[in-house]
Amino acid sequence: MKSILRLTVNGREREDLVPQNMLLIDYLRDTVGLKGSKMGCDGGECGACTILVNDAPQLACLTLAATVEGKKIETVESLSQNGRLSKLQQMFHEKLGTQCGFCTPGMIMAAEALLRANSNPSDEEIKKALEGNLCRCTGYVKILESVKGVIESNEEAAA
Amino acid sequence: MEVLPDFEILCPNSAEEAAQMASKKGESRYMAGGTDFMPNMRRGLEKPKAVIDLSGIGEMQSIEKTGNGLRIGASVTLQQLISADEIKSDFSLLAEAAETIAGTTHRQTATVGGNVCLDTRCQFYNQSEWWRKSNDYCLKYEGEICHVAPTGKICRAAFSGDLAPALMVHGAKVELTSAKGTRTIDLKDLYQEDGADYLLLEPGELLVAVLVEKLEGYKTAYRKVRVRGGVDFPLVGIAAAVKGNGTQLEDLRVGLTGTNSKPVSLEGTADLCGGSFDETGFKALEKLVQKQIQPMRSTFSPSHYRRKVALNVSRRLVGNLLEN
Amino acid sequence: MSAPIPNIEDLKNAKPNKAAGARIPLVDGIEKVTGKAQYTADLDDHGAFTGLIFRSPYAHAKIVNLDISAAQALPGVMAVITGEDCGAPFGILPIAENEYPLVKEKVRYKGDAVAAVAAVDAETAQRAINLIKLEVNELPAYYTPDEARAPGTVDLHERRKGNQERSVNHEFGDVEAGFSEADLVKENTYHCAEVTHAHMEPHAALAEYDAERELMTLKSVTQVPYYVHLMLTQCLGMDSSRIRVIKPFVGGGFGARTETLNFEIIACLLAKATGGKVRMQLTREETFLTHRGRPETDIKIKMGLKKDGKITGVQAEVTQKGGAYGGYGIITILYSGALLNAIYDIPNVKYDGYRIYTNTPACGAMRGHGTVNIRFAFESLLDNIAEELGLDPIEVRRANLLTSEFETVNGLRGLSYGLPECLDWAEEASDWKEKRGKMPKNKGIGIGCSHFVSGAGKPVHWTGEPHATINLKLDFDGGITILTGASDIGQGSSTIITQAVAEILGVDYGRLRIIANDSAITPKDNGSYSSRVTVMVGNAAIDAAKNLKGILVEAAAKKLDCAEQDIECLGEVYRVAGSQDPGIPFQEVVNEALVGTGTITAKGTYFVPEAFQGTGKQRGAAVGSSPGFSYAATIAQVDVDEDTGLVTVEKIWVAHDCGFAINPLSVEGQVQGAVWMGLAQAFSEETRYQDGLHMAPNFLDYRFPTMVESPDIEVKIVEPIDPNGPFGAKEASEGALSSIVAAVASAVKDATGIEMTETPITPDRLMDAMIKREREEKRNASKKGAA
Repeated sequence: MKSILRLTVNGREREDLVPQNMLLIDYLRDTVGLKGSKMGCDGGECGACTILVNDAPQLACLTLAATVEGKKIETVESLSQNGRLSKLQQMFHEKLGTQCGFCTPGMIMAAEALLRANSNPSDEEIKKALEGNLCRCTGYVKILESVKGVIESNEEAAA
Repeated sequence: MEVLPDFEILCPNSAEEAAQMASKKGESRYMAGGTDFMPNMRRGLEKPKAVIDLSGIGEMQSIEKTGNGLRIGASVTLQQLISADEIKSDFSLLAEAAETIAGTTHRQTATVGGNVCLDTRCQFYNQSEWWRKSNDYCLKYEGEICHVAPTGKICRAAFSGDLAPALMVHGAKVELTSAKGTRTIDLKDLYQEDGADYLLLEPGELLVAVLVEKLEGYKTAYRKVRVRGGVDFPLVGIAAAVKGNGTQLEDLRVGLTGTNSKPVSLEGTADLCGGSFDETGFKALEKLVQKQIQPMRSTFSPSHYRRKVALNVSRRLVGNLLEN
Repeated sequence: MSAPIPNIEDLKNAKPNKAAGARIPLVDGIEKVTGKAQYTADLDDHGAFTGLIFRSPYAHAKIVNLDISAAQALPGVMAVITGEDCGAPFGILPIAENEYPLVKEKVRYKGDAVAAVAAVDAETAQRAINLIKLEVNELPAYYTPDEARAPGTVDLHERRKGNQERSVNHEFGDVEAGFSEADLVKENTYHCAEVTHAHMEPHAALAEYDAERELMTLKSVTQVPYYVHLMLTQCLGMDSSRIRVIKPFVGGGFGARTETLNFEIIACLLAKATGGKVRMQLTREETFLTHRGRPETDIKIKMGLKKDGKITGVQAEVTQKGGAYGGYGIITILYSGALLNAIYDIPNVKYDGYRIYTNTPACGAMRGHGTVNIRFAFESLLDNIAEELGLDPIEVRRANLLTSEFETVNGLRGLSYGLPECLDWAEEASDWKEKRGKMPKNKGIGIGCSHFVSGAGKPVHWTGEPHATINLKLDFDGGITILTGASDIGQGSSTIITQAVAEILGVDYGRLRIIANDSAITPKDNGSYSSRVTVMVGNAAIDAAKNLKGILVEAAAKKLDCAEQDIECLGEVYRVAGSQDPGIPFQEVVNEALVGTGTITAKGTYFVPEAFQGTGKQRGAAVGSSPGFSYAATIAQVDVDEDTGLVTVEKIWVAHDCGFAINPLSVEGQVQGAVWMGLAQAFSEETRYQDGLHMAPNFLDYRFPTMVESPDIEVKIVEPIDPNGPFGAKEASEGALSSIVAAVASAVKDATGIEMTETPITPDRLMDAMIKREREEKRNASKKGAA
């Protein structure tokens, strides 16, 4: 069974006919064509598909597309604006918060959600916020440094 | 792409409407946050014809004060629960338990009701269709024997929700709605010791809210044992509320999860209370735990370990609460 | 050719890009943080059929009947293939090709690929899979080496009697004589569980067959596109020139993808059968079943020490549960023995290794290939003996150091050895002297050391070609395109190669672009394994850049009318050395160089010097030979919870000798990742099978750490400069891994007094050990009481 889905994806309103049993991750990747969000496991164990739904992080692989009707969806592709990386992206890039890059879109979106809700999280809060985002390359050390880099640069800008 | 069963999504606006839908539609399933339901469906463990999406039901999404307690809507997300002011003040145990559940992102959508009704888990069950078929399925789903206890007649999948033991310590009741009407029962009476049929719900019955009472003068704590610092389900989870100080124990309530097919509300603690609590008391506590839990080979970590840890942690938790 | 006219001041102030040693971000990092990086599953697959594999539910069985007729008849099914469609076997080692993309005659593990389907969509493909009927006669199945090699067992493979894939028996020096010189000889056994790579990107392949032109294009997740190309040629029966292999972005590998994997060939077979495009996206569970990780290993090791700590001899017996197919198995069992050497000065070494076939998914190469488990055993026993001799663990290692130029008893040679400096730093940074044996109850600190090759001296397929080749293309636009076959799988090889070229030419990074891994465009490369890329491809890149620079210098000399040796190259500017003239910009030099020749192609190659390919004096000594060995000393500090047996790692200090850090940021990242992966093996990762079924084929039960419990890992880069390395560099991605397993075991011992001889040191194992000790203490106390 299919139904019309109306929502906003990365600032653009959309209207698509989607099967009711379609996962949001498949809708984003196959229907919208945004391949940044990744599928890394068989269901909610790795966080690579993390996106924002109305500013809160959500696992697109555990979400039925039809259930985000009318909501605001943001994926990693939305962050860089006017040819400039977002601060978080810049830090993940500069501080080597990404190696193979497969967990990165989900990791960055989970961190983005954290920083929107809490602009000055402690190390423990960062770790807790990203607990469900697995990475196999970095040992997380430089991911933590990347998120902290944003906080530090915000502090410098404010000073 | 994952192949999900071909279902329709129904979006009721009230609990009553949801229950009506469930009674009309055979093979329907309620879905709240979906963080447990969706992986199960992706693994072929759920094949509903209709999914009743509870997210549009406003009455299930709020936390309300009730005299000496709270009425927590079943669709309240774990994140909402953790950050709610009402919870922070007198129900911190619930927040403490909720914070250990899954990962931060899961908790944005996962709900109180979902965790209370969380499907029991087993290493022979939470696997793909190919895997389970290769193993001749199991008693919980489509099979004849329980691989955990092949000689038994009952499924030994473990209840693994973290909220239930904490709620039980708070004397929780649950409000249930079905096409036949509404009823309220003790949370501990919602469960039975059968992994394949662990919830004593009528067909189509919906958990609408959880009611909890304040614990006046108690100190509480939740301890979850797991291999990793996040994401994992509990190997053992223990909630405790202690009234007393130093060596004097006035009252003790303990709830456990991860050890049985239902959350365990530890019975017989009253006998330990009302006087000085020393090594004999701790030994008696261990004995109660020892007798009432039944960890089985349902997880990757061995059952004897989970048993031992349940004893150690119960003792430590109660000891620490008494001391502080 | 309308480059802006450069400002005189710019010319005067020109400085060459000092790229070697610079902390630059990954050259492909922007793609990764923006989501633009395209992995195999992200590629345009419009019009592709969905490929799915029918997998065996049996561990060991002879196929009686395989009925695919119902699947074939299902509308929407484009092709169904079986072992009958597979002409030739494949395998990474030419001497052990015993695997077919889809099995013939028998299945050897639960999950073995039996048939495959291509259909219009996933749903139809799944329905077709469900219609396939497999009838078998079950055979006895073996899940442990002991079961598999017991008398009278059925052989998994015809020509491997008793299921022994390979035995290795080496003795260098005289071990018995060594032990007789020792003041203390001890023996112990160690056991390590099977672990797997668990790269974040599940396996995927996209194959397209152009039936009209008879061309096959495969895009896949491989670390070794060249080997995949060879195996496709063999298994598809096509001429290699009609095959094109492309590696898109790859989401990690850690060794899983260092050999051709069955689904890559199956995707191509299906594409050929349908005459179209086929996408295969394996589930996480299937990715686990494809495996090729580190084998479950039993180790018996004996070591003799003099009172001063000097090792007089080492004897080890290693048994590896290899799984159902050969893969890299022979290399793994050889490495475990060969790399007993080249870290310490050990005069006498005896090694007996056994690689056994079992009815479980095949093992293979995994980060720290062959060295991790044996290193854990070696370092643990060394600690144990040192303690009994009253020696500090760091001092006992100092007593056995090699010299910076060494040749071991098995003929391994090295020209740099930074282990002494690694030890010094780790000792100081961790405050070792104040902590070891002195921390409060249940807290402890421990050390482990390790090493690894920087590429194998002898490649898997010996062809006589260089070990590495790089092409540079320079054209009218002034852009330099680096063409390489080196596979960047996240470890940063494209970045290192770019830096090497930038350093030699001195040009800005903006002038450089790198194109990697398209067999139609880029030069052949053996692939990303055995930590070969930085040294081998890095050296080839330097060679290519020097050749290009020669051409440019010649052109500049012509343009500036001077002798070539008088040309000073400042990267973006070439000038006459010492003259007042500000010189000419790069573009002008290029324009001059193009005159009469057009597009410039410069090539660079690298051969491992013969002396580092194994001396040939000792039997089997080519294995383990390398142009350079990396070294690491790692210290871990832990806290043990008595109630639960849970170990919290509070901090890790690791010093890694990588010769020279071409990119220190990248080296830190690699070392942190390696140490963390070792930590995961040490504490939580484990693959278990029940009746041959994988019990943890998901990220909940296969427990690698989350960010919450992952400790801070402080890295010190030690740079002794290796004459064989590019700018002195050696490998940085693998060497530190095995040190941490021993280090944490040592720390747990310091904290609890218990020597854990089994990995992973899960809370249940540690709890069991604590209970056992408690009982023993009680028994001893009661004995004492009775006496």
